[in-house]
Amino acid sequence: MRAWTDLDDFQTFIDEGGIVEPNDDMPDEFRQEVFRFVEFHANSELMGGLTERDWIPKAPGLRLKQIFLAKTQDEIGHAHLLYMVAADMGVKSRNQMIEELFSGKSRFHNVFHYQAVTWADQVAIAFLVDAAAFASQRAVFAECTYGPYKRVLKRIVAEEGFHLRHGEDMLMTLAEGSKLQHSMFQDALERWWWPAVQLFGPDSDPNDPLLKWKIKSERNETLRTAYIQKFVPLLQGYGFEIPDDELRYDDEAKKWVTSEIDWEPLKATMSNGGPDSRRRIADAATNWADTAWVRDALDAATINREAA
Amino acid sequence: MSELSAAALSYLIAFADDEHMIGARHTSWIGMGPFLEEDLAFCSIAQDELGHAIALYELVVDSFGSSSELVTPIDHFALLRPAADYRSCSLAEAACDDWQDALVRHWLYDRAEELRWAALADSSNPALAAIALRSEREEVFHRAHAESFMSRIASSGNASSIALITDSIQRLLPLGDGLWDPPDAEADAIAEGFVTESSASMASKWKQDIAQDIQKWNLPVGLEIQIYLNEAAPSASSFGDRLQRSEGFDQFLTSLQAVISLDPEAEW
Repeated sequence: MRAWTDLDDFQTFIDEGGIVEPNDDMPDEFRQEVFRFVEFHANSELMGGLTERDWIPKAPGLRLKQIFLAKTQDEIGHAHLLYMVAADMGVKSRNQMIEELFSGKSRFHNVFHYQAVTWADQVAIAFLVDAAAFASQRAVFAECTYGPYKRVLKRIVAEEGFHLRHGEDMLMTLAEGSKLQHSMFQDALERWWWPAVQLFGPDSDPNDPLLKWKIKSERNETLRTAYIQKFVPLLQGYGFEIPDDELRYDDEAKKWVTSEIDWEPLKATMSNGGPDSRRRIADAATNWADTAWVRDALDAATINREAA
Repeated sequence: MSELSAAALSYLIAFADDEHMIGARHTSWIGMGPFLEEDLAFCSIAQDELGHAIALYELVVDSFGSSSELVTPIDHFALLRPAADYRSCSLAEAACDDWQDALVRHWLYDRAEELRWAALADSSNPALAAIALRSEREEVFHRAHAESFMSRIASSGNASSIALITDSIQRLLPLGDGLWDPPDAEADAIAEGFVTESSASMASKWKQDIAQDIQKWNLPVGLEIQIYLNEAAPSASSFGDRLQRSEGFDQFLTSLQAVISLDPEAEW
């Protein structure tokens, strides 16, 4: 077990490329911040899976249904791994995290507080939203000084890369498909563009401890700007219109500039007051309560078996 | 691409529709299992069942193609037929909105699948025999999954939990009869070696398997269930099960068609 004399000593360790492991006597500030971040990530993976479940039964093909099931299975699998990483930090148990999430006490990514209204929304999530989440996760993986999180992120980033390629295929299918399909995606883009941009969050606090401790490797605004530079021309290239009247290309800076971002919708989601937050959380909570008997029975069976 | 007899097609469509409906029904549980590991497991099972449906539908559609030059995309055949043209059984179609029903149906259905794939493993159609061997390898895990849950709940000593699954068995087991409603011209399919065992014969074995499981788990099922399981032949009520759609099927099919029917000519 490694220990540090104070936060300056710990910072030197981090600055020299150190990786913290669960059995280290890490500073409590670091433990709490990393736990909070991993718990938020785990909650988001789980609620992301629930966001996509509405349209999977209606997938317009059996192979597509298999693919979207596999994708959602990956997301729930990521949540599973992340909850274990978080639980090992000794702050909350996995059940406590899940029960707090389903009771509306915890936070998860803004994009998963919105409802997928049509199949094209499913595609928008698979492409726009996953790309935003992928960029964030990759930037965390790049440095990530907490060992168990970094190892789990390696797998998550690899799987999300597959999701993204599939999302792009799905986007191309709608973009190059019938007039109805093109128009469906345009409508979905109008619903999902801003939430996807807002996912990166407002500009980072200069004193963000997660940056200082190299859990995050990039500032929010850096990632957000890079996302906009990539996706504006890509979506326009497919003939879609970005829902931003003030969007312009700055010739001098050679970059796309959006209108001023309204952060109120993001703030609403962070207090579970987004457009679909109530239903999403209530469905999950009802199901968790309805299936409590299974968990209880399995626990009882384990106790009986151990006693025998 | 090979042209299949009417009897063979009828047999394939019934099994493919069962696999499609069970996979589609399992799909509705994604993210709603009792805990995360179970979500992951049940989701895999749903994907496997849909994969079996795809493999069987491919044989059907390939046969149509060879006989009529009409290339029918699998998804059109799987999703866009009128409700009356489906040949799935009631057990596969049932909604099973409570987790105990989804579990009991999974156990009953996968117990039957073991017999059904075995009856195709030596099929005179080599492509079908290969699908049967591959599918049965997956089904071993499905049965282990169902067995694990059923036996652990049964051994929990938790009376209310045991009552929940026992009640599900009482309600769903009679629907299982429909699994053995023989597809049209089954005797011809047997005569040509397409399938090697009759539905009636499999029904008898299935009932024995189910009875043994119930006894092994010491589940307190009612007398009528015990009598039913002791009857060798399927009950008369099973005949015609595949020709009539169960309650709620039309609504379910409409939901499955929600996207593809927006533009059936489009590629999705």
